[in-house]
Amino acid sequence: MKHPGRLTRHALAVAMALALPMTASADVGYNELKKTVQQLQKQLQQVQQILKQQEAKVKEFEENTVTRAEAKALEGEINAASEWKDPNLIFHIAGYADVGYVDGGNGGNNKDGSFRVGGFAPIIHAQYKDLILLQTELEFQLNDDGSTKVGLGYMNINWFANDYVALGAGKFLSPIGQFRQNLHPSWINKLPSAPPGFGHDGAAPIYEVGLQARGGFPIGSLRSNYAVYVGNGPTLKMELEDGAFGLDGIDAEGIGADADGEKVWGGRFGILPVAGLEIGISAATGKATATLNETTGSTLSNQQARDYDVLGFDGVWKYRSLMLRGEYIESEVGRATTGSTASAGAKWETWYTQASYLVPSTKFEGVLRYTDYDSPHKSKDQQQWTLGLNYLFASNVIGKLAYESNDGMNGKPSDDDRWLFQMAYGF
Amino acid sequence: MNLSLCSKAGLAATILTLSSLLLPLSGTAAEGDFSAGAMVWSENCGRCHNIRDPLDLRDDDWKTAIFHMRLRAGLTGQEARDVLAFLVASNKPARKSIIAAKASTSSGSGKLDGQAIYNKTCIACHGGNGKGLLPGVPDFTDPKGRLSQNDEVLIKHITEGFQTPGSPMAMPAKGGNADLMAGDVRAVLAYIRKQFGN
Ligand code: HEC
Ligand code: HEC
Repeated sequence: MKHPGRLTRHALAVAMALALPMTASADVGYNELKKTVQQLQKQLQQVQQILKQQEAKVKEFEENTVTRAEAKALEGEINAASEWKDPNLIFHIAGYADVGYVDGGNGGNNKDGSFRVGGFAPIIHAQYKDLILLQTELEFQLNDDGSTKVGLGYMNINWFANDYVALGAGKFLSPIGQFRQNLHPSWINKLPSAPPGFGHDGAAPIYEVGLQARGGFPIGSLRSNYAVYVGNGPTLKMELEDGAFGLDGIDAEGIGADADGEKVWGGRFGILPVAGLEIGISAATGKATATLNETTGSTLSNQQARDYDVLGFDGVWKYRSLMLRGEYIESEVGRATTGSTASAGAKWETWYTQASYLVPSTKFEGVLRYTDYDSPHKSKDQQQWTLGLNYLFASNVIGKLAYESNDGMNGKPSDDDRWLFQMAYGF
Repeated sequence: MNLSLCSKAGLAATILTLSSLLLPLSGTAAEGDFSAGAMVWSENCGRCHNIRDPLDLRDDDWKTAIFHMRLRAGLTGQEARDVLAFLVASNKPARKSIIAAKASTSSGSGKLDGQAIYNKTCIACHGGNGKGLLPGVPDFTDPKGRLSQNDEVLIKHITEGFQTPGSPMAMPAKGGNADLMAGDVRAVLAYIRKQFGN
């Protein structure tokens, strides 16, 4: 490339030389002229040198500079690459898993202890824009005989109708209380076991199949949240003792077909007077019908629909590293006066309080929980103290060691003390 | 069908419908706000489970997780957008880029002055008086506190983010504002020292 600037400067130098004024003395004039020309030559060389350097710099600059066209192309690439980030449809896998060791319990059957696979519960989310969220949780469990049990945890499709209401349908975690819907995943529960009465066929409902509206709204400067649902409700299990039927338990694990056609409706309302403090009240009411003879395993039909009522209170308070929780739930089933299983009603009731403290600047957390579960069956009544020590590998990876001191009917599993170790991972 | 079923299902349906209709529709939704989101995060996200590290998930995963949590925790749509804005700003891992290195050698460089940066990015957690608004946020005015560390340590922790083991809350890299250049970080630290140090 010929540089236009260089020519101009050569011409300028010559012109300047020619234009120098002649002196009277030719010699003096010649010498002066010579000196001037030499000086000019030197300057010219310097200028040329600088120009060379500048040219190299310009070249380097051009090499390192992106043209508009190139930038445009790059922009296109970036746009193409970001399409996987912001599609209308996003899939997300979450969930949790836990493994552990249990020593004691089971009516003395595994006194020597067993390694356990607690469960693997992957959750799949499929979200469409800001409008729809499908959430489904699968439950994998290893049975005592080595076989695997797979179940559908929850599966519901939610429509975010506006900023305060989401409407959902399908199988969902019962919104009664806190433990079932918010605390049961092993990476969240601060102890390796559920408090008695909050497990399967206890006092607290587990799942519901139906319609649900959920959301939150401010009341002045306070936060509040709600859940309202209508669903199939539970079914009832009957047991046969000395030729007479009695209520054995409530199967509130999300019933796929409503045996009596009578719906249960209920919900929970929570309010946060200050950040970190939440108080909730829950209730459900409707009908439930006996469908299973637990003693023989046979199904029952044409039984009278009984009254079914649930009431719950819960509270949580978090102050720095200290967390206090408490929850009460009762489920009451009314009497049936007709049908082959006509019998009296019954009530299941449980409550727990739990304190946990994360020792500041360490990863150790201590937990203490007391539960009192009252079942219509004296053999299942239980009072439990649980003391736990946790190590937080991360906020979602927790090692837990706990001792359960159980007080129940002599000789029953509910009376056996247990050591539990669990490694829980939420992802 | 009997009457009690009809009345109960009807009542439930009425509640569902009324609650949906009485309230404004999402078309008017405002964008998520970082500072409001930091507040929502610190006030809600440690109530049921341990507070999660913003670095745990990338942007699109946070989006579904937050919609999931909106259902669980009964957040409003605005709270969900705010906390999402906070999280997607706070989940950028610290990276030593050539450009950042260049910027740190140039003097000043920051476009904003320390006070402006503090009031825009840091105040949501550290508070106007530097004592910390949220659990886990240190008190800058404590003479034996964090400011007694040297600049090198503090600049590193501001730039890359920092969490004391077991602390309920992490300091997000650059306070969640990825636009801050090294010069800005120095400027805001100088402001913090001048304003709260003793
Ligand atoms: C009302 C209780 C509650 C509150 C408040 C809450 N979470 Fe959760 N969170 C849960 C439960 C329960 C799960 C586990 C979900 C499951 O296993 O079905 C969970 C799971 C998660 C997960 C794992 C990924 C996923 O989608 O399951 C992340 C991340 C998370 N929460 C973040 C947050 C953030 C951020 C906030 C604050 C906006 C928050 N949580 C507030 C109850 C809560
Ligand atoms: C989302 C809340 C949040 C925001 C926003 C935030 N910080 Fe922090 N900051 C924290 C927390 C929490 C800690 C304590 C972390 C720990 O020790 O675990 C902290 C700690 C610090 C420390 C002490 C670090 C150390 O080494 O102990 C400095 C300095 C600091 N922040 C500066 C800033 C600056 C500057 C900004 C704005 C650019 C900012 N922070 C924005 C939450 C925040």
